[in-house]
Amino acid sequence: MAGAYMMSMGEAHRRILEYLNRFSDAVSTQDGKSLSRLLSISSDSHHLLSLADALNTFQDANRLIRQSEEYSQYADILLPIFRALQSYRLRNLVESYQAFEKASNAFIQEFRNWDSAWALEALYVLAYEIRVLAEKADIELASNGKTPEKLKGAGSLLMKVFSTLAGKGPKRVGALYVTCQLFKTYFKLGTVHLCRSVIRSIETARIFDFEEFPVRDKVTYMYYTGRLEVYNENFPAADHKLSYALSHCDARKEANIRMILKYLIPVKLSIGILPHAQLLENYNLNEYSNIVLALKRGDLRLLRHALQEHEDRFLRSGVYLVLEKLELQVYQRLLKKIHIIQKQKDPNKAHQIKLEIIVKAMKWLEMDMDVDEVECIMSILIYKNLVKGYFAHKSKVVVLSKQDPFPKLNGKPVSS
Amino acid sequence: MNQGGTTDTLTTLGTNSVEKYPVIDPSQAHASSYYASTSSAPISWTTHGANNYPRENGTVSTSTYHHDQQAELTSRSVQDGLNGAPVVSTSTSGAVNVQHDYNSYSTYQNTDPYGYGNTGYASYYNNYQQQTSQPYQPPVGAYQNSGAPYQPLSSFQNTGSYAGSASYSSTYYNPADYQTAGGYQSGVYSNQTNYWQEGQYATYSSQYPNYTPDSTTLYSSTPSAASSQYAHHYKQWADYYNQTQTEVSCAPGTENVSASGAPSLSSVPGGYPAANSQASAPYITSWRPESTSSELPAAQSGTVNGGVHDGHWKPAPAVFQNQNLNSVQHVQMPLETSSTYESFQNQQNHAHSQGHNLVYTATHQVPQSYQSSLQTVSQIAPQLDSRRASSKLQIPTNPRIASNLGLGFPKVEKDISASTAASKPAYISVSLTKPNEKVPSEDAADSILKPGMFPKSLCGYVERALARCKGDAQMVASQAVMKEIIMKATADGTLHTRDWDTEPLFPLPNADAANQEHILFSTPISSLPKSRSPSRRSKSRWEPISEEKVADKPPAAAAREPVKYGFWNKQHYTVGKTENKVDNWSNTKFSLPEQKSSNKNSFRPAKKQRLVDGLSAADNGDESSESDKEQTLTAYYSAAVALADSPEERKRRESRSKRFEKGHGNRAEINHFRQKSAGAGAGNLYTRRASALVHSRNFEDSGTKAVEDIDWDALTVKGTSQEIEKRYLRLTSAPDPVTVRPEEVLEKALLMVQNSEKNYLYKCDQLKSIRQDLTVQHICNELTVKVYETHARLAIEVGDLPEFNQCQSQLKTLYAEGIRGCHLEFAAYNLLCVILHSNNNRDLLSVMSRLSADARKNDAVKHALAVRSAVTSGNYVLFFRLYKTAPNLSTLLMDLYVEKMRYAAVKCMSRSYRPTIPVAYISQVLGFGNASPTTEASDEKERDGVEECAEWLKAHGACLSNDNAGEMLLDTKVSMSSLYMPEPEDAVSHGDANLAVDDFLARNPV
Repeated sequence: MAGAYMMSMGEAHRRILEYLNRFSDAVSTQDGKSLSRLLSISSDSHHLLSLADALNTFQDANRLIRQSEEYSQYADILLPIFRALQSYRLRNLVESYQAFEKASNAFIQEFRNWDSAWALEALYVLAYEIRVLAEKADIELASNGKTPEKLKGAGSLLMKVFSTLAGKGPKRVGALYVTCQLFKTYFKLGTVHLCRSVIRSIETARIFDFEEFPVRDKVTYMYYTGRLEVYNENFPAADHKLSYALSHCDARKEANIRMILKYLIPVKLSIGILPHAQLLENYNLNEYSNIVLALKRGDLRLLRHALQEHEDRFLRSGVYLVLEKLELQVYQRLLKKIHIIQKQKDPNKAHQIKLEIIVKAMKWLEMDMDVDEVECIMSILIYKNLVKGYFAHKSKVVVLSKQDPFPKLNGKPVSS
Repeated sequence: MNQGGTTDTLTTLGTNSVEKYPVIDPSQAHASSYYASTSSAPISWTTHGANNYPRENGTVSTSTYHHDQQAELTSRSVQDGLNGAPVVSTSTSGAVNVQHDYNSYSTYQNTDPYGYGNTGYASYYNNYQQQTSQPYQPPVGAYQNSGAPYQPLSSFQNTGSYAGSASYSSTYYNPADYQTAGGYQSGVYSNQTNYWQEGQYATYSSQYPNYTPDSTTLYSSTPSAASSQYAHHYKQWADYYNQTQTEVSCAPGTENVSASGAPSLSSVPGGYPAANSQASAPYITSWRPESTSSELPAAQSGTVNGGVHDGHWKPAPAVFQNQNLNSVQHVQMPLETSSTYESFQNQQNHAHSQGHNLVYTATHQVPQSYQSSLQTVSQIAPQLDSRRASSKLQIPTNPRIASNLGLGFPKVEKDISASTAASKPAYISVSLTKPNEKVPSEDAADSILKPGMFPKSLCGYVERALARCKGDAQMVASQAVMKEIIMKATADGTLHTRDWDTEPLFPLPNADAANQEHILFSTPISSLPKSRSPSRRSKSRWEPISEEKVADKPPAAAAREPVKYGFWNKQHYTVGKTENKVDNWSNTKFSLPEQKSSNKNSFRPAKKQRLVDGLSAADNGDESSESDKEQTLTAYYSAAVALADSPEERKRRESRSKRFEKGHGNRAEINHFRQKSAGAGAGNLYTRRASALVHSRNFEDSGTKAVEDIDWDALTVKGTSQEIEKRYLRLTSAPDPVTVRPEEVLEKALLMVQNSEKNYLYKCDQLKSIRQDLTVQHICNELTVKVYETHARLAIEVGDLPEFNQCQSQLKTLYAEGIRGCHLEFAAYNLLCVILHSNNNRDLLSVMSRLSADARKNDAVKHALAVRSAVTSGNYVLFFRLYKTAPNLSTLLMDLYVEKMRYAAVKCMSRSYRPTIPVAYISQVLGFGNASPTTEASDEKERDGVEECAEWLKAHGACLSNDNAGEMLLDTKVSMSSLYMPEPEDAVSHGDANLAVDDFLARNPV
């Protein structure tokens, strides 16, 4: 542990001064990159770790800052940063977050006064740290039996950061990054409805073309908005956004691609597009393979089993309901199979499928359904335009259209 | 002898006296500042001290001074963290004085340990504060006479502009100068203070009554005659005050202040009769001279001020001396003075009485209170205000003041000339400060009044003795013992010669272990209300401004201050005589250090002794002659300086301030409140509540964490009502325990509701009132769960979804706390609710993912999950089967969705079935014919169901026909386009279909 290493007072003093120097240099030379490095508390960089040790050795950093005008003008940022660093080093994460929040507020204040966007990089780090520290602080709070509330606070703080960027001008480029941090926060908090205002601000602003944002942010943004569309079961939009994210995502970032696919696959499935088995394998998305198989086979039992097997995972990621709705497509597939078999037996009567046959098939699949229920499902299939034809109640027969009785979805969602 | 001197000065009112007097003012201010520090309990005290120190010390001050004066108070508190509580409370931007006063208040409260009711002190304080403010005002009036009301400020500014002497900034302010400046400013500000007080009084008037008794007891020691005189004086003073105010009115800002001030004065007497009279007495005395002086030209005004100060000051010394010799004599002496100087006499009397008290009874208390008044008003306001206010005020006022500068100068000069006198006060103040530290408060008082009276070591001794006391009773007892000891010492002349530091403490009367001072200090409670009220007021009124200021120019102000001060010094130099100059210088430099050192002395015997020596010397000088005094003073100061400037000292100071930085103020404040609440007793709900509120606000303001530190329990109520039936009324104020039912009664009430035959509206009302009572009493147990469950079920039964949702969300948190109830049943309800009524996939997902494996095995939950899948897939057959087999009250929840489901089903059927569907089939599948799962059982029911279904279909625009066999059929092709959702018969005014569907209350009145 570096913590065990006792730093001499002079050394500590020197390190603190060095940090202060670097800070004021970065600001005066408008070097956003260096500045950002000084702010990334949770990065565990060697430099910052040793600074934290120095601060713990040399307690009166306050005086050092106040000593010179050069530093003291940023005392509102530096002091809490120091405190945050110290607390972070001591694994006192709640305090660390609180201090960092203070520093952030001071930094935002300062950032507003800088006309150019040179410090965007630093602001990115700031936004990132706010979220990450808050998450850690919440874990600490929760483990102490207290209400985790810091992430919530981080949400409003990030909103403040966002508002400093969202206007016109060169700083707007940074808005999307902060938006993404906000998304992450809100998704974690389960308050996704709060995303709406941010999205509106991003998407309705005509002054700034979406394509001008950095690719990285665009991909993240599209991923999250795509997920939101999945919740809303707006599959075409979800497909569009997630596909955008997939196609722009750095191919080397497999984890990111996998995350996108996790949502894109259910979306594609529900609009009737099945993924290649290889894709599932490549990205370790095997939880979907049985579902795809069930869709191909019309195997309701397999679908239900697959859903049950990964219920937790699907519920957490929020695709459970989407996958559940694939049932109708499975029915369709089953009916189609029956139809094909009938056609092989007797092409003339193939378009009339007796209800009892379907009930038998269900029994064979170990699905406990009586006639009424199957009738209901047939009715729904017809109603949703997954089957063309009609149901004759008197004779209990599904009468299929002779032309394309099982229309393909072809990228369109099941009509509701 | 002293009296004679004072009288002379008064009578002359001329240059000499005038000079002395101004000086005196500063000294008073000093004393006050000291006091504040001392007054606060050990903890609070230190904070105070810290505050004072930073300000006083040039070095420390920079940081502290960053803020503008008025804003400073607040900002300071925040930044320093030392002041924490006090600052927060006092955060008025404009009324710096007020804030200071309040600080002193809080401190006083802390000091209560002395056995006197805190309340009494508080009241005392109030009086004093007012008084003090008034005394300062007179000076203002004088200034105003001379020129504009802002002159004092202008003078300050002048100093600032002139500030050439670096020495000031680097070292310490001239206490004297400062104080004088403070005095002037204080005049201006004093008005504000009054204003403030007014507000306080108004708000907390109820609290005051409590205090009055205490105060009376405290004061009882003082001769009744004196008090009466005081009252008289007070009146006069009020008159005078009014006059001054009118005079002051010239400046816009001042006008307001003055106006406010007048009301406050009036209010004081009313609110605190007993305390006021006493308090007023000192005031009056001081004032009176002033009033006379006010009439005089500007130059005179300066003198007048001095006179006033003398009133405070001189009488005190005389009294003290007399006391040493004979208490009786003292009193008489003041009385002898001429009518014009009656005020002085009064003061003297007052001093006397106080002195008496000190010596004989609760020496500490009396002096303290007295000092406190002085300090709070004069010292705190002037010092702090003057410094900070001056820095800030100067800026705004500069344009105006510029013209006034000339006027201001003369005054300054006078002050300077008086510097010799000033040195005295400074000295006095120092001595006071020592007492301040703890018990020494006595000394402080004494020192103010009579510089030479008590050796510091004695103060320390008394302090130590009192510190051991654990309770009030013990304290009183030990005070009695000490009285005896001191009297004895006085009688045999060993008072000054004895080494009190080494003197063994007398055995504790109650044979208790030594107590910590902290405890003692913490115990006092009474003062809280006052402190609170100020804080509140200040915030509401001043905070915004202060914030702005703080934000605007912390560093600038800090930078400026020293300069100004330096300026001041220079002025002094030039103006004053050579001797005076020197004295001033020394004073300025050292006065602050001295205070500190004195404080320290209390801690460390060795230093004390030194100081004591200095003190005694000074005292002697006092008695002998002015010049002697000066010399002794300078000597004393130099000694003090040496002490203060030693690296040791500095280090200690630093560490001390650090100690307090860590939210000490807050804690102190909390302690206050706690004490208070404890003292208030269980019955005093409102005060406790208020304190908690203040807490929360303070916390918010200071931006500190720890909302959890707030004693929210203080807000809970313990009900006493025995009524079983109670109408629900939404609370608009704090709950009254008389109308709140305790748990046993609530249990009965719940039973009553459960067995009641009355309709839902009545039950709902009753249940809501039960819930309210539970909430205000923080009852969170199985009864609570039962109540909410009962209410939720009732709400389901009548379809009152909003109420159900309320109960449900409460239940969720209650279950989460591990309180047992029908948790799974309600989990199912919750699921159904989300499925059927919220239509939010995310909510649904989160609810589902939160279901435990155990919960999933529960029948009700299983059912609910099945319903969910039926709904999401649109499986109407399944849905209505589940509808018929629903457990508990799930049916009723599903009821609310039946209409929608049926409509969707019929739409679906008419689209997919050709050419017709028998209505009987629809009726069977869609659950018409009500309830019973086995529809086949009774044909009749089925027929009813078919009829009902037919009607329903017709109502929804379906096209029905009869076939040959007379069976009713639904013509699907025609119906497909003709189906519609009919407007609910009892449409809700909002036009919200959901509301109409859900509002069963309207449809099925119970």
